[in-house]
Amino acid sequence: MTCREFEHRATSLTLWELSRAQDQQILGHAGGCQKCAAWLQQQRMLAATMQTLQARTAGCAAGPDVERALLRAFRQGPSQAVRPEMAHRFTPIAMRLSRFFEVGAYVAVAAAIVVGLFLGVQLWERRSVTLPVQSQSAQPSASLPSVVAQESGSNPHQQRPTVSRSSVNRLRPRHVLSASQSLPDMAEPSQTSMDADYVALMFCDPLSCSSDAQVVRMELPSAGIAGSGGEQDAQMRIADVVVGYDGVVRAVRIVN
Amino acid sequence: MLTDLTDEQLLAQALAGDEDAFTALYRRRQGPVFRFALHMSGSSSIAEEVTQDVFMFLIQRGRDFDPSRAALGAYLFGVARNYVRRALERNYAETALSSPVDDEAQSLTVNSDPGEGIARQQASTAVWKAVLSLPEHYREVVVLCDLQELTYADAAEAVGCALGTIRSRLHRAHDMLSRKLQHSAAAAPGISSVTARCLS
Repeated sequence: MTCREFEHRATSLTLWELSRAQDQQILGHAGGCQKCAAWLQQQRMLAATMQTLQARTAGCAAGPDVERALLRAFRQGPSQAVRPEMAHRFTPIAMRLSRFFEVGAYVAVAAAIVVGLFLGVQLWERRSVTLPVQSQSAQPSASLPSVVAQESGSNPHQQRPTVSRSSVNRLRPRHVLSASQSLPDMAEPSQTSMDADYVALMFCDPLSCSSDAQVVRMELPSAGIAGSGGEQDAQMRIADVVVGYDGVVRAVRIVN
Repeated sequence: MLTDLTDEQLLAQALAGDEDAFTALYRRRQGPVFRFALHMSGSSSIAEEVTQDVFMFLIQRGRDFDPSRAALGAYLFGVARNYVRRALERNYAETALSSPVDDEAQSLTVNSDPGEGIARQQASTAVWKAVLSLPEHYREVVVLCDLQELTYADAAEAVGCALGTIRSRLHRAHDMLSRKLQHSAAAAPGISSVTARCLS
């Protein structure tokens, strides 16, 4: 018996038949061929381990609920009993639907992120476009006459209630920058001659870029001018006053 | 006596409306169908569901059974095979996440000798895991021929393929199982000792 014949004969037997092999030809060949003997031993080992599983599950059976349910269905008759394949036929569709909604949820989240990013970019671009325009209109010399205060009080702090919050907000960052640039200690070489006319007041914090400032044109008594180093006389002076958001005057420019 | 009747005779009587015949047929055949589904899926809940589906199918479509083609047992395994496939597809996520074999191993094993019981449990769990890890077309022939002890002809009828295909699949499946079990035995020496005791 050749190894090929041995293999052909052995595979025609089930695992159990092979493990209990009484076939003299198979046993004779396995006795003389180490390779086939090892294979036969391997099959016997496999049969033995299968036997443990078979023994362990030998007593397993469906519960009594299954029998009761089937008997109920049997009593209803073949035409009225619920067809089991119907339930299975619909299940894949339900699975497909749930997967569709799952994918839909991911798509919705992704779309929300994209829309959010788009709106954010749009808002940022709009702000970056409008701010230079605001800064141009907020130049002290050009736009400030519209917020000129007509009060003639000597204390600059009294001007704060006359300046509305909305007008302050409109004149925000770039205006602050231009106002702060007008301060002598923060002046840059490219500063215009008009900004250079502002005189910084002492004992005041310099304007930071994040703070707000408002330029108010007002009439100042000569006593106030004298306080800032000007010449004292009886004439009222018109001046542009840089007022910080905290109401403290930071710089003054005499107009007339 | 109903117990003396063949499966085919019981089915004929059940289809004629005899509830006792149906009960007798169910009690005779539900165990193998349940165990087939259990070995295929590793889950007793799936096995119960499949068993119910198979006999519901028999109530509905029992008239389609042709006794000249195959035995009723093989026919029921063929139906069960299709339901197991559907159940595994449906419950793939749950069965993949949990470890049903370990759960079943806890509940199924009863042994008088604790040491022997643990070793046998390890061995049977290892072989069950190895069987479950086989591709489905190999697994079903192993379960049908090796665990349910069907003949090759009945297995071919249940699976719906040629007899030679069953043989070649089984041969290949045995090689794969042997390799997997050798790895398991290297990891857990108790398995090989139990196998040796079984052989002796």
